[in-house]
Amino acid sequence: MAPEKTAQEKTPFIAKAKGFVVNLFKPKERVSADAGEKNNWKAWLYLAPCIILLAVFTFYPLINTIAIAFLKNYDYIQQTSEGFTLENFGVVLGLVGYTQSGDMVMRWNCTSFRSGGVVGSFIDAGGVVRDAYFTMDVIKYAFPNTLIITFITVPISIIIALFIAIGLNSIPAFHKALQTIFFVPYVTNAIAVGMVFAVLFDYQGIINYLFGLGSLTWIDQGAPAWRAMIALCVYIVWHSLPFKILILLSGLQNIDKQYYDAAKIDSASGFKTMMNVTVPLLSPQILYIMITSFIGAFKEYTSVVGLLGKPSTDGGGTNNMYTVVYYIYDMVKGNVQYGAAAAVLLFIIILIFTGIQFKVSKKRVHY
Amino acid sequence: MEIRIKDLTKVFPGNPKKGIPDTYAVDNLNIVVPDGQLVGLLGPSGCGKSTTLYMVSGLLEPTNGEIWFGDEDVTDLEPEKRGIGLVFQNYALYPHMTVYKNVAFPLTNLRLVEPVLGEDGKQLMNVDGKPEFKKRKLTKDEIDKIVRETARIVQIEPYLERKPNQLSGGQQQRVAIARALVKKPKVLLLDEPLSNLDARLRLQTREEIRRIQQSTGITTIFVTHDQEEAMSISDKIVVMKLGVKQQEGVPQDVYNDPCNKFVANFLGTPPINLFKGLLKDHKLYIGNDCVREITPEEVEEAAKLGRDLNDQEVTIGIRPEGIVIDERAPEMFHFHVNRILTMGRDIMLVSDHEQKLSDTKFVIDAFTKVSVGDVVCAVKPHKCFAFSLADGEPRLI
Repeated sequence: MAPEKTAQEKTPFIAKAKGFVVNLFKPKERVSADAGEKNNWKAWLYLAPCIILLAVFTFYPLINTIAIAFLKNYDYIQQTSEGFTLENFGVVLGLVGYTQSGDMVMRWNCTSFRSGGVVGSFIDAGGVVRDAYFTMDVIKYAFPNTLIITFITVPISIIIALFIAIGLNSIPAFHKALQTIFFVPYVTNAIAVGMVFAVLFDYQGIINYLFGLGSLTWIDQGAPAWRAMIALCVYIVWHSLPFKILILLSGLQNIDKQYYDAAKIDSASGFKTMMNVTVPLLSPQILYIMITSFIGAFKEYTSVVGLLGKPSTDGGGTNNMYTVVYYIYDMVKGNVQYGAAAAVLLFIIILIFTGIQFKVSKKRVHY
Repeated sequence: MEIRIKDLTKVFPGNPKKGIPDTYAVDNLNIVVPDGQLVGLLGPSGCGKSTTLYMVSGLLEPTNGEIWFGDEDVTDLEPEKRGIGLVFQNYALYPHMTVYKNVAFPLTNLRLVEPVLGEDGKQLMNVDGKPEFKKRKLTKDEIDKIVRETARIVQIEPYLERKPNQLSGGQQQRVAIARALVKKPKVLLLDEPLSNLDARLRLQTREEIRRIQQSTGITTIFVTHDQEEAMSISDKIVVMKLGVKQQEGVPQDVYNDPCNKFVANFLGTPPINLFKGLLKDHKLYIGNDCVREITPEEVEEAAKLGRDLNDQEVTIGIRPEGIVIDERAPEMFHFHVNRILTMGRDIMLVSDHEQKLSDTKFVIDAFTKVSVGDVVCAVKPHKCFAFSLADGEPRLI
C-alpha cells in the first residue's frame, strides 16, 4: 500500500516537470506582443505632456534634493560643492557643529553647553577650551512641534469630522445648505484664515472676551509656545475639517441602509451602531484621510505663517514655533544643503509612519 | 405567538403640486397568522407584501391599522422591543464581522432581567415593597453556547470563523437566518429570502427554511413573488395585488378554488390558460365548443355566494393539467397543437386557439398519444373556471 501511495504522489510532479520541459522548447506565442508594439508610440505620445511636466517639476527636484542632502557646502547659484558628506544630516540633527574658524566639532566631544545647547565648549588638540556652534532649531523646535501638530490635530479633526459627517448624513432637510457651509473653510485661503484667527486669538480678541480670560496672550510677542500651539492646532483642525467631512460623507452615503435596519432589529444602541457598523464600513475612507492628513500635518507650514507670520513668539530670540517645513523653507536661502537633509529626514519619517499605518490597517480596514 | 394584522394601511404621500397622487402601498389588510405557522405573503412586485413585512417588523410606521402579537398591541412599539427576527432580501450581514460575530451581535445587545436574590435564596424586595430585578449582559460563555447551538440548527458550524463574502449565497442565507433566530424571537420575518439564490439552491434552501421553522416552531411570515416557493413551504398563503389582499388560505385550496382571475392566473406553473368565452344556459362555451356544464348543485352554491350565473360574456380559465385527450368526451374542446415539448414525466402542448387571451399550454401524461395539429379533448370540470368581466374579475364558477 505504502509504495503505491508515494508513486501516486510523484506522478503529478513528474508530469509537471515534463510539461515544463516541453513548454521550454515550444515557440512562444506572439499575438499579443505584436498587437501591442504597433501602437506603443501613440501611448507614449499621449502620456508625454504629463510625463514631461512630472519629470521637470517632480522627479528631477526629488532626486536633486536627495543628492544635495549629501553634498558638502553646496552652492545653489554655481551648482558647486565640496563633495560627498553626511555632515548635513549631523548639522540638522544638532550633532555636528562648527567653531568660528570653521572647524567641525562633534557634539559628543563637547564637555559643557550654554545657550540652550547651541554653544558647546570643547578642548582642542592643543588643550585650549574653545566654543563650537550647533543648530538646535530642528531637534529642539521643528521636530517636536511637527509631531505635536500631527498627533493632536489629525485624531481630533478625524473624530470631529466623523461626528459632523454622521450628523449631516442624518438630517436630510438642510443637507445641501449645511454641506456648503461646512465646505467653506476648504475654499478659503490659508493666509486669510490665519489673519482672521490672528484677530480672534489677539490679546484683545474675541476668544479672550468670550471665555473671560482677560488679556491673555496667545500668539502675540511673549506668549508661551504651548499657548501659541493651542491656537495653531485649533486653526489647523478647523481648516482641515471640510475635506475630511466631504470624504466621510460620500462614504456614508454608500453604506447600505439595510445594515442600520439590521442593527435596529438587533437592538444595538446608537453609539454601538456607530462603532460596530458605521466606523468599520467607513474604514477605507478613514484610512485614506488618516494617511493624507498625517502627511499633510507633517508638512504643516502655511498655518504658522498665516497665524503667526514668523516662527517665533518670543520676539525672535528663538525659533520656538518652527515646523520642519518652515525650517526647510528658511534654509533654502543660503543653506540649501541643510534644507535638503531635513527634507530627506522628513521623507523617511513620513515613509515609516505611512508604512505603520498600512500595516495596522490590514487588520482594521474592511474593503 | 399569533400575529393579527387589523385594517393595516400604508400610504406613501405623493406630491400634489407635481400631480403625483398618494400611493396606497397596503390597503386595509387583515391577516391572522396562527401560532407556530409559516405564512407566505405572495404577489407580484409592488403589491405591498414587503411593506407589510416591514410594518410588522416596526421599521416602517403604518398609516393606519393595528398589529397584534398575541395579546399585545405592538403597532407603536420600537422594532427592537417587538422580539422579532428579520432576514433581509440581501441578508445585510455585516461584511467586516466573521460569521460568529454576526450571529453573536444581537446577543451582545441583549439585557437579561433577573430577580435579585438575597442570601437565603429568596427574591429581595425594594423600598416600595416590590420585587427587585436587575439587568445584566450575557456572559461570553452564554453567548458562545447560544451561537454554537443556533449554528448547529442552521448547519453553519464549519464556517463560523469566515467572513460573509467567503461564503456561498446559500450559506450566507443560513447565517442571516441564524442571526435572526439567535435572540429566540417570537416572530421570524423573511423578506424574499431566496431571490438571490440559483434555482437548485433555492429548492434546497426552501426545504431548509421549512425544516428550521418546524424544528423551532416559530411563527413565521415569508414574503415572496414566487408562487411555487410560497405554495411549497407555507401552511397558509396570502395573495396580494396592489396593496389589497385577494385571497388567503391553505395553498392547495387557493389553487383549487381561486376567488378571481388574478389569483387563478398568479398561481401555478405554467400559468392557467385564459380564453374569451360565453356563459349561456349554465354552460360554458369557448367559440362553439361547450367545455363545461354547470351542475344544479353548483348553481345553488353560486346563488348562496351571490354569484351571478345569468348569460354573459366571461373569461374562461383552464388549468394546464385540466384536459384529457379523449374524442368520445361529451363536452369537447378543439384546439391546435403547434409544438410538443417533452419534459420526461409529462409532455407539454404549446397550443393555439382563436379565442385565447394568454399563451396556451397544456400538460398531459407522457404516454398519451398526440401529434401536432388539431386536437380534440375533454375538459376536467374542476380545472375549468369562469371569471366575470366586471370589476375585479371575480370567479363565477
